[in-house]
Amino acid sequence: MGTPSVLWNVAKKCFTVGLVSLTVSDRFASIVSVRGGSMSPTFNPKTNTLFGSLSDDYVLVEKFCLQKYKFSHGDVVVFSSPYDHKEKHVKRIIGLPGDWVGTHYDVVKVPEGHCWVEGDNSASSMDSRSFGPVPLGLVNGRVVHILWPPHRVGSVERKAPQQRVSSS
Amino acid sequence: MLPTLNISGNLLLAERISTRTGKLRPGDVVILRSPESPRKIVCKRLIGMEGDQVTYVVDPMNSDRCQTVVVPKGHVWVEGDNIYASKDSRNFGAVPYGLLKGRVFWTVLPRKDFGSLAPKPK
Repeated sequence: MGTPSVLWNVAKKCFTVGLVSLTVSDRFASIVSVRGGSMSPTFNPKTNTLFGSLSDDYVLVEKFCLQKYKFSHGDVVVFSSPYDHKEKHVKRIIGLPGDWVGTHYDVVKVPEGHCWVEGDNSASSMDSRSFGPVPLGLVNGRVVHILWPPHRVGSVERKAPQQRVSSS
Repeated sequence: MLPTLNISGNLLLAERISTRTGKLRPGDVVILRSPESPRKIVCKRLIGMEGDQVTYVVDPMNSDRCQTVVVPKGHVWVEGDNIYASKDSRNFGAVPYGLLKGRVFWTVLPRKDFGSLAPKPK
């Protein structure tokens, strides 16, 4: 007689917690793990010690920026890949709509509603230099803090490379 | 989106499950974030999925010239039903699938259109 009601209470609590955490991670902030070295040294810097290369970085992604879609140069954002909506990438915004961005071969104007993203580690990063400007509607959130590993906990700085971008 | 939707506005029901499970098919009316302005949600009809060959009239007001394009991987081609007055993939190109937000399946208002939406007019 006691067990079904205990189970029911546990089920209700799990459902409430699940619903609340889903709302929070969808609208306010969520924790995401970063894989790959395209944003090194900001995330996952290649180190020689065994301890440093064991785990991926965990970062805090805020979703308040999606209310107005106002981003600044140098923001690190999470966005769905234009080629596969299930994949998410983490890169830095280099150019905003209307900017002229210089690539290896020519100068590209970022169209309205799009942004130009690049990884901090230009040598091994699949970014706007391969798939072009990314529509801002694909952005899922902005990375604000590194939460793991403990020796690199801190806020993520906004680093804007001035030399290659000219704003209108 | 005339004549499927009303000139003075509709109240529609859209579901968000089909976009997540990927069960959209050409002919569905979808809502998506505009690639030109991320705060704007627009309603268009899905014409082609990735890999499809889409033939469209480039400028129906002035000429009959058609163009054929293959929809790139991860993208879809959307067009409004009223091609004479619609800004859609013919203007801003194929749209990444991640911008699709939902599928419209029911018209609530105006009362005379209550029910599921009409298929694409020929």
